[in-house]
Amino acid sequence: MPIRNTASRYGSVAQALHWAVVALLIVQFTLGKIADDLPLGFDKLVTLARHKSFGITILALAVIRLAWRLGNRPPPPPPMPGWQRVAANLSHAALYTLLFAMPLTGWMMSSASNYPVSWFGFAQLPDLVAPDRNLAHDLEDLHELLSTVLLWVAALHVLAALKHQFVDRDGLLMRMLPWGKP
Amino acid sequence: MSPRAIFACLALLAAGAAGAAAWQGDQAAGKLQFIATQAGAKFTGGFTKFRVCFDFDPAKPADGRLDVTVVTASVDTLDDERDAMLTGEDFLWTSKHPEARFHAEKFRREGKRWRADGELTLRGIARPVTVRFQIAPSGAVLTMKGDAKFRRLAFGVGRGEWESTEWIGDEVEVRFDLRLPPAPAAASP
Repeated sequence: MPIRNTASRYGSVAQALHWAVVALLIVQFTLGKIADDLPLGFDKLVTLARHKSFGITILALAVIRLAWRLGNRPPPPPPMPGWQRVAANLSHAALYTLLFAMPLTGWMMSSASNYPVSWFGFAQLPDLVAPDRNLAHDLEDLHELLSTVLLWVAALHVLAALKHQFVDRDGLLMRMLPWGKP
Repeated sequence: MSPRAIFACLALLAAGAAGAAAWQGDQAAGKLQFIATQAGAKFTGGFTKFRVCFDFDPAKPADGRLDVTVVTASVDTLDDERDAMLTGEDFLWTSKHPEARFHAEKFRREGKRWRADGELTLRGIARPVTVRFQIAPSGAVLTMKGDAKFRRLAFGVGRGEWESTEWIGDEVEVRFDLRLPPAPAAASP
């Protein structure tokens, strides 16, 4: 599999980044949900610390992904109606935006609530905003709202990919899979 | 401020009647903060109720005396949930130990700063702690700025799973920045 994207499929770097982010997002939703249900205590501290570390990892991967994408255009999509192309572009833009917005609102929320972020205990990140109870509360609501939006857009993204693969049979999904034929 | 703390302050002032200058102040005089490490990240908290009594003449450090009394329940980390946890039995246990106290009578110069070797009583446990500070007169007021470090586990702060230093660092740094007014004249000879 070529490293770079070709005219017919994504290269290994784009694929690795895509699936790594998918895996991390599943971890993030799980940890976020677990932490939300826990009372303040040791388990919550540990769960949220990991949630933050994975979140910062996703933010770093999002930067790399965007840079890679800008220097390495994705393969052109298979023929499809104009509205589907527009919908695909919009949902991809929304997904990229959320890949930045989720970790950034989480990081800001951590700063605002005076629980600074450390990346797996190796390095402490600077605070993005000063501690502020009201701001922390608003950011928590926003972070949660965006997670719901992300869940719906991601569901749409998956359903669209499956529709292309199994209804339209245009081989779209294979472009993002390592065993897909070039 | 409890009657005991006020008494401690008055006793100090009486003891200092030998002629050394005395200052005293509470939370209105400035900040008393601590920096602790949680999940690898340092955060700053503070105490909003405390009293400092300082009887000190740089020419006669041997006669000096520093007393700091802190109302443990006034801990403020800008997060209500964490404050509630810190006042609980596993941490400061404020219902049983409403006050923490630092007392020092040994002072010596360290360059521009002073070093006070004293004793911190926290959660009912007394351990030696060294405070380093700088003082400067500013009119009638004495500015006093300094820091100290102690190990929380030596005082039993953080019990059970909270003893894990991987998640809550053992070392806690204390910082203070005060403008202490002179002690009331009524307490002077």
